[in-house]
Amino acid sequence: MNRRGLVGAVAAALALAVVPKRVKAAPQRKIRPPGALPRGQFEQACIGCFRCAEVCPTKVIRFPGALSLEVATPHLELADRACVLCMKCTQVCPTDALVPLRADADVVAKEVRMGVPKLTRSACLPWTGQGVCRLCYQVCPYPDRAVELVGPQKAPLFHADACVGCGLCEEACPESARAIVIEPLP
Amino acid sequence: MTVALPSHGPAPVKRALQPFDVTLRHGKRYQRVRVAFLTFSVLLTVGLPLWHLHALDVEGAGLAADNRWAAVGRWLPATPPPFVGAPTSVWVAFFELVDPLETLATALFRGVTLSLVWTVLPGVLLVVALGRFFCGWACPYLPLLAASNAARGLLTRLGLPTADVRLPRQTSRVVLVGVLLVGSILGVQLVPIVYPPAVIGREAFRAVFYGSLGAGALLVLAAFLFDTFVSRAGFCRSLCPGGAMFATLGALSPVRVVNERSKCTDCTVCDVVCNLGQSPMTNQLDGGCERCGKCIASCPTKALSFRLVPLRTGKEEAP
Repeated sequence: MNRRGLVGAVAAALALAVVPKRVKAAPQRKIRPPGALPRGQFEQACIGCFRCAEVCPTKVIRFPGALSLEVATPHLELADRACVLCMKCTQVCPTDALVPLRADADVVAKEVRMGVPKLTRSACLPWTGQGVCRLCYQVCPYPDRAVELVGPQKAPLFHADACVGCGLCEEACPESARAIVIEPLP
Repeated sequence: MTVALPSHGPAPVKRALQPFDVTLRHGKRYQRVRVAFLTFSVLLTVGLPLWHLHALDVEGAGLAADNRWAAVGRWLPATPPPFVGAPTSVWVAFFELVDPLETLATALFRGVTLSLVWTVLPGVLLVVALGRFFCGWACPYLPLLAASNAARGLLTRLGLPTADVRLPRQTSRVVLVGVLLVGSILGVQLVPIVYPPAVIGREAFRAVFYGSLGAGALLVLAAFLFDTFVSRAGFCRSLCPGGAMFATLGALSPVRVVNERSKCTDCTVCDVVCNLGQSPMTNQLDGGCERCGKCIASCPTKALSFRLVPLRTGKEEAP
């Protein structure tokens, strides 16, 4: 290698050693697969190999198609399907952008936070006295922790700190109501 | 060296030797093995997502098979395969073959962890031993490159002009560093968006799972057009950051093409047929050689061959 090449190589190595660690980027808020690193770190680790989407039994893990910087990162389309917390995606990630987790109820309850539940009470049938429903409570993998039934009308009250964000409640909520949505983490 | 071609005018037209003028005479078994491996790689690119999709549909009985590939995948086994992934990231039973470039990009952000090292080690060892073989044996862009070369041949025969702008070979190294730097400034992994095997793998997955193509297809198309109209194999030779990575890692590979000068007639056919701008005729081959073996196959005097070269020197001295 001649001298110019050597100088270039050293400069490149220095730049690459310094710049990535100093950067604080603010990517979009998205619902990531379970076990994902925090926002910002996940986008740095994910190489877009789509293995997680390949093994997802409900096919809820999707890759966007439009031209953007996010085109090679997965998100969960909870408006369409739900995550059943099988944790297969975390087992196949090659760069640990999704931290490997066992499909154990307690491990998942502790480690998984994919989103925040947001209930619109005016649309919810028990809260408005228009029905019994309670489907969200019945499908929740952590009843009485992530969602509990309160009051004489036995309406759902969500607790974001215990909710894993799987979206089963959103899937179960009747189309006419659409009261509960899982929103991306702040 | 020029060839005389018949034309409609009174005098024959002369032009420089082109790759399609060159016949591959021997080394056919090597070419057959290579093409078989490449076919396997391309089939894996499309077949793995298809197999997984079929297994998911069977497992999720009750979920409608909402894809038009269901009919194609019906003959595949219902249990998912022990492989997962893409051309740049394959998990086979218990070991991984992950692209070193993407792993490097991850390590720049997240630091080098034992898990990352363990993940990337098989791939790196293969490249250190065999050189830039991925580009010549496994890259799913290769069929498009062959199509681009065929298109160039057709255009030349039709008399239409095709440029062959030869960018300096260091350009791909600059692209490599640039992609890593810009990605780190933006805080995202830029490599999977611009690196053709990753893009093609993801587009194949998208086509199988969603029945449509995304923005990545545009990049692949742009590379194809660049190769056809601007520079022969220009993307692979002078732009691909993955190629630069493999060339750097594989620079010390002992498996080299060697020209036995006593048999060489300096006909330049090997130099012409090389897609990557190497010069086998003068024994000037560096890490950029993708071990495709076309130079060996084209030599009329069988002067070229693969040899195991001692590691202490960069070049083999001609015997």
